[in-house]
Amino acid sequence: MSKVTTLEQAAASVPDGSTVAIGGLSMNSAPMALVRELVRQQKKDLTLVAIVAGMAVDWLVAGGCVRRVLSGLVSFEGLGLAPSFRAAAQSGRVDVEEYSEHLLICRLQAQSHNLPFVPTKAGLGTDVVGLHAETGAVREEKDGPTGEHYVACTRLPVDVALVHAHEADERGTARVNPKLVWMDNEIVNAAARTVASVERVVDTAAFTAEPQRTTYPSFMIDEVAPAPKGAYPCSCFPEYGHDSGFFAAYSRAARDPDEFARFFHQRVVGPETWDDFLAANRVSVGASS
Amino acid sequence: MSTPVPGYRCTIDELMVVAFSRAMANDTRAFNGAVSFIPVCGYLLARRTHAPELVWGASSIAVDADPDQIGDSTLSDSLWGGASMLSSSPFEFWSYAQGARYNTFAFRGAQMDACGNVNNTVIGPYHSPKVRLPGGGGMADLGAMIPRIYLWSPTHDSRTFVERLDFRSGIGWGDGGDHRERMGMPGGPQLCITNLGVFDFEPSTKRMRLASLHPGVTAAQVQEATGFEVAMPAGSIPTTAPPTAEELRILRTEVDPTSARLREF
Repeated sequence: MSKVTTLEQAAASVPDGSTVAIGGLSMNSAPMALVRELVRQQKKDLTLVAIVAGMAVDWLVAGGCVRRVLSGLVSFEGLGLAPSFRAAAQSGRVDVEEYSEHLLICRLQAQSHNLPFVPTKAGLGTDVVGLHAETGAVREEKDGPTGEHYVACTRLPVDVALVHAHEADERGTARVNPKLVWMDNEIVNAAARTVASVERVVDTAAFTAEPQRTTYPSFMIDEVAPAPKGAYPCSCFPEYGHDSGFFAAYSRAARDPDEFARFFHQRVVGPETWDDFLAANRVSVGASS
Repeated sequence: MSTPVPGYRCTIDELMVVAFSRAMANDTRAFNGAVSFIPVCGYLLARRTHAPELVWGASSIAVDADPDQIGDSTLSDSLWGGASMLSSSPFEFWSYAQGARYNTFAFRGAQMDACGNVNNTVIGPYHSPKVRLPGGGGMADLGAMIPRIYLWSPTHDSRTFVERLDFRSGIGWGDGGDHRERMGMPGGPQLCITNLGVFDFEPSTKRMRLASLHPGVTAAQVQEATGFEVAMPAGSIPTTAPPTAEELRILRTEVDPTSARLREF
């Protein structure tokens, strides 16, 4: 049975209140088309897991979809702070569960490897680990035989991972082209279910011709949602870069609540389809090959 | 903004890049994180001058990258031109980092303390922050893993350099003294390069110590702009050496022709 579906149907399969992990890193390769659809469908009370994030988390927070964010970093890098995330964290509207990159990766690995914890030296001596004293989700420990200090990172259950890839076939075999450089496989491996948006659907023969280039086997991908330029305004190396102009315009609009509401409607959630969204942002689909 | 350095034929951003570059030994194996324009320029300049064998993984991904110019993000693929390998974060990078195959990393924060610890998480109490900052990203990880840590700040003032961090996002020398060693962490912060001077760390206390002053800056000004007591070196305080004409030419025309480094100023 074909796993190919639409962005709308894929997003509809994400229940309110679920834990959603979002792929990509900072301004790169985030599944923006899927994220936009979650906002359009007015999801509620999501817990987001986003290792190093930016615009995707900001859209979901701006859309009122988020209760909690587990992350190591949410920003627009040199282009500024993520405005909706910042405001929501400061007002307490959204809870932030603080991690570093590697602490979050190790929790995801404990989950995917089905282990009680994965050890790392990440976070030793910082305030990040102390914030988890109550839950023990990550905790500082000392190895008995060697006396070495480490941080034990416990399992992190994820209901659904959303990632963006270049190509998939109908069975869900998928690849990032030329290869996966971000940490998306950590969330895919940990999640009970994964939805991949893809630049295009290709024949299985494309994978069997070059199996060494496959990123995810079919059994790890549950739904495939075609979305050309599906990471916009983030990048999808090497096919397109991030759009600094969008980040700048978004940040500018965020200085004034009315202006932001207008911008968010016109440029983000208002357009009905992903094609309409790209047209509203003057992005041409034909350019990618 | 580009501020001229009195008496030198360069600006403060250029002086900081050159000071950073000169601190890089030939056996440096470095990578960079977000908003790291000064270190990226420093690695590229060092590789084109005194440290030809220096290894740099752009954005922690693109080994040996040699970009034509530096874009508006130091984490993006725009930096990857000329790379000999795109390493992947989950499969490769974290092994190279955790095993200290990479030996050099630089980070900065909204607040830094005397022992080179850094806050980039919150200003104010964690649970009711006055300002929610981006978060530490990989600082808490890489601070604990990488032996040669470098710090920099284009805004040396008492708001940035504080006695007590509101939150410790990344570890430098921790509580000072032998704290890192006791925790089993290799090395520690080597230098902190700011718009006022260059600082090293006093070997026993591991507190920041003035190593050189940029031209026109006095030790009293540095102390005034720092929220903790700055250790002073024995004897007279040197002036940060001027960049050579060749260093400036390479920086301006080859490494960073669009002056991306000014995004930090």
